[in-house]
Amino acid sequence: MIRFDQVSKRYEGGHEALSQLSFEVAAGEMAFVTGHSGAGKSTLLKLLGLIERQSHGVITLDGQNLAKVGRAGIPKLRRRLGMVFQDHRLLMDRTVAANVELPLMIGGMAPGERNKRVRAALEKVGLLAYERQLPATLSAGEQQRVGIARAIVAKPMLLIADEPTGNLDPALAVEIMDLFAEFQQVGTTVLIASHDLPLIKKMKKRVIVLDHGRLVADVAAQEVL
Amino acid sequence: MSTQPEFPMESPLLSDQTRGVRSKPRPVASWREHHGWSAAASLRRLMSRPVGTLLTVAVMAIALALPLTFYLLLGNVQKMGEALGQNQTINVFLQPGQSAASADMAAKKLRDHASVAAVTVKTPQQGMDELAKMQGFSGALHTLDANPLPFVLEVLPKPDVTADNVDRLVADMRGMQGVDQVQDGGTWRQRLEALLGVGERAVLILAVLLAVAVLLVVGNTVRVDIASRSEEIGVLMLVGASRAFVRRPYLYAGIWYGLFGGLLAAGFAVLVEWALAEPVARLGQVYAGKLQINVLPVWLLAAVPVAAAVLGWLGARLVSAWQLRKAA
Repeated sequence: MIRFDQVSKRYEGGHEALSQLSFEVAAGEMAFVTGHSGAGKSTLLKLLGLIERQSHGVITLDGQNLAKVGRAGIPKLRRRLGMVFQDHRLLMDRTVAANVELPLMIGGMAPGERNKRVRAALEKVGLLAYERQLPATLSAGEQQRVGIARAIVAKPMLLIADEPTGNLDPALAVEIMDLFAEFQQVGTTVLIASHDLPLIKKMKKRVIVLDHGRLVADVAAQEVL
Repeated sequence: MSTQPEFPMESPLLSDQTRGVRSKPRPVASWREHHGWSAAASLRRLMSRPVGTLLTVAVMAIALALPLTFYLLLGNVQKMGEALGQNQTINVFLQPGQSAASADMAAKKLRDHASVAAVTVKTPQQGMDELAKMQGFSGALHTLDANPLPFVLEVLPKPDVTADNVDRLVADMRGMQGVDQVQDGGTWRQRLEALLGVGERAVLILAVLLAVAVLLVVGNTVRVDIASRSEEIGVLMLVGASRAFVRRPYLYAGIWYGLFGGLLAAGFAVLVEWALAEPVARLGQVYAGKLQINVLPVWLLAAVPVAAAVLGWLGARLVSAWQLRKAA
């Protein structure tokens, strides 16, 4: 599903965020990317979401070389991804349901089908009762779940999450991670950037460890202690 | 979360292994839906800040109403010139002491001239009677021993005669035997026509400049709107929105601004017409009802909102393309 081959990313100004990074993630696999602050976790996810472009190397996603995706192809590729952010990135002047509906509306789905999918996604994250509320009336954890509902509603081939539990209390963080694991169980590839080591250990999934943009460890799920 | 329902494997969310937004292809229907949504959403946004919207629309309306008003005034001045020109005769004063027979002969000669429509002979007595009717002259005329006025020929040029031919006619008349002087009141009309030509060009330039101003006003308003919603635009792009999708509500905002500005401008122009109607009617009475207000044609009043909407769309299109290129 995901293949990084000798990928480097150097930002303007010379900072090298990723250096000759190579790894693969199979379809339907769930993996954590961890490392200290500045290790390159977020940059890795940005390259997958085509928010940034690599300086060197080849990134392949579902057989597609991302370097060859032109400007017009970016929206199409992003419609096949589900992205979850630490700061939720919700539209505060639209209802919870309208936020979740966005990817489907952009994808051109019929209103009736959209409504069914939105309700199913909200039900999955336990927020169906809040569908008509504005995100500002929800807690941080609930807002994060709205973000997850928006990411999964279009049944993405890849779910990527950047520090999705960063602002949440430990109990809620486990619930959110369990939710990601459920989506992995039905075939969605899940890649999560997190620096929360206790939580990562608890999930017992594959862990990719970065340090100063380099891959320093790739621990298989069964080897996680 | 433990109280949440079971994982809905049978639900439309994850009931199969299809990935991405999968449904029957309906590009036209979804395109139409999003146009409808964008039009309504942008209108709602405009209405949610009525003062700001009203100020923008008012600035545009005034900018659009200015050339319309000048065009209206120019049309009326032109019409006034035409109406007054219908009365414009050239007065040929014969030398004192010329007989009625000489006056008739001169009149006959002028009637045969190619540029002349009609010639009226005014006797010295008729001239004296006209003077007597004028306020302040009747007393003075009694003191005269004899009628000092000459025969006057009132020559009306043909309506389609050019200014050059009128000049030639005046020259011919000045050269006629027994003619003392020729009073050509048509010169003012030539000057007026020249001034109207300048005015027409000025209105055209003004219209172009103010159209650019409308473009800039809409462009700047949309630029501020886009800047204030950069977070929303970022989110839309992250979840897969194309630039056309993101831009659409802003294009509709430009269209709404233009349309409302154009409608208000047309309203202003009708108000100006209404304000001019009474004084023009009074002026018309002076000229025996020959003068009526020149109103703006309905097609022009209808075209202004349409043209303004196109300008609004264009302004929004230029600015949003530039802004979203930065955001991509």
